[in-house]
Amino acid sequence: MAATPTPLEVRNIKKRFGDTEVLKGLSLQAQKGDVITLIGASGSGKSTFLRCMNLLEQPDDGELIVHGEPIRFKTTKHGREPEDWKQVVQMRAKLSMVFQSFNLWAHMTLLENIIEAPINVLKKPKKEALEHAHALLDRVGLTARANAYPAQMSGGQQQRGAIARALAMDPEVMLFDEPTSALDPELVGDVLKVMHGLADEGRTMVVVTHEMSFARDVSSQVIYLHQGLVEEAGPPDQVLGNPQSPRLKQFLAPKY
Amino acid sequence: MLDLQGYGPRLIEGAGVTIQLAVLSLLLAIILGLLTATAKMSRNWFLRRTATVYTTLIRGVPDLVLMMLLFFGGQIGVNAISDMLYYNYEIDLYINFNAFAAGVLTIGFIFGAYMGETFRGAFMAVDNGQIEAGKAYGMSSGLVFRRIRFPQMMRHALPGLSNNWMVLLKTTALVSVIGLTDMVRVAAEASRATHEPFTFLIPVAVVYLLIASVSEWIFARLQKRYDIGFGGQ
Repeated sequence: MAATPTPLEVRNIKKRFGDTEVLKGLSLQAQKGDVITLIGASGSGKSTFLRCMNLLEQPDDGELIVHGEPIRFKTTKHGREPEDWKQVVQMRAKLSMVFQSFNLWAHMTLLENIIEAPINVLKKPKKEALEHAHALLDRVGLTARANAYPAQMSGGQQQRGAIARALAMDPEVMLFDEPTSALDPELVGDVLKVMHGLADEGRTMVVVTHEMSFARDVSSQVIYLHQGLVEEAGPPDQVLGNPQSPRLKQFLAPKY
Repeated sequence: MLDLQGYGPRLIEGAGVTIQLAVLSLLLAIILGLLTATAKMSRNWFLRRTATVYTTLIRGVPDLVLMMLLFFGGQIGVNAISDMLYYNYEIDLYINFNAFAAGVLTIGFIFGAYMGETFRGAFMAVDNGQIEAGKAYGMSSGLVFRRIRFPQMMRHALPGLSNNWMVLLKTTALVSVIGLTDMVRVAAEASRATHEPFTFLIPVAVVYLLIASVSEWIFARLQKRYDIGFGGQ
């Protein structure tokens, strides 16, 4: 094993919903500083795959290793489950997720959202958490909105706030689940700019996205999923610049 | 001027009993209601079943019948236990099944069932994305409950909660049948003795109204508090 453990590794993840097998054995390895983008048509399983990485969905099979530590599973009458939820909780604190619909906690101000988990989960002193939060707000350009409630903010502001909340955890890996899909087109740019910055400073990120230009510009690896399987994977200039499979060619072709 | 003919102090005492009874029953009902709602949403078959039997039973039987069942039946049960303890372990324990405790238990037990339904609906109204965000940030289920699920559920629960409270408050008037001296019982006694029912019953009605108004004010403030962030400010 290398000196620093791999931040995130998943092997052979399988998941079915009822009769439909949505993930048919997917693997991924994110080394420190990697930006891995998952692309594919809707229904290809990319969001489900991402949600299996922090166990918001329980995979039916496969391994999950976070920072060198394998998550232990057991089989119950409800299916496969983590053996020790405490381990899951600790694992999740190392991965922070940015959701498509932001999911900032509605009853808290933006600032309260950002310090919530650092104080209650990481047990950071409040003063320290606040200092960090203000620095992050400054970074995402929301200092003026610190005391606003999510409902009072635009979608783009909410998503940048959600990224600040994710950063406040000092995560090993950041998981992005279609972070710009719910935004008005003119608000997408600001969010992508923040994400570009994160990639540039060497954050490890796994990003489900439809933004091909983002995938092309910042990813170290692009994975194209089709019906729960990896159809093509590799560096962006290869996968996006020179697609091999007809389906990926079709997927990347201009839609009009 | 209102002449309570010496019944004043006892009426005030009775009002105290009513308020204590109502508040303690409310607390018990809220705890039972939260437990029932959680049980009903659990994936454990036995818990769901138990909660359903509880709510069906309570909502289908008159409050008065339940109250007498629990009070008289409760004393028999307590006696049976203390007999058992004495004969088997020679532990001498005598518990007097106190009418006040019986009142709190019964009313709490009855309204716990109604609260259960109120809370269940309220919990289901909380956006799942809010809960998922909590989990994704490493919160334990206890922490998710305390910091997210509960505070966001309350704004949906409060209208039903306040309604249940008003009904609960008036239900306390039934406790006179199990020998508790609340203000209704004092007023009834006084009315019979003096043949002046209005002198006693109208002040009693006013006290109920007063409690109801104060609670409405409190509930309005709570609603405002829990609506923060949801466009209600």
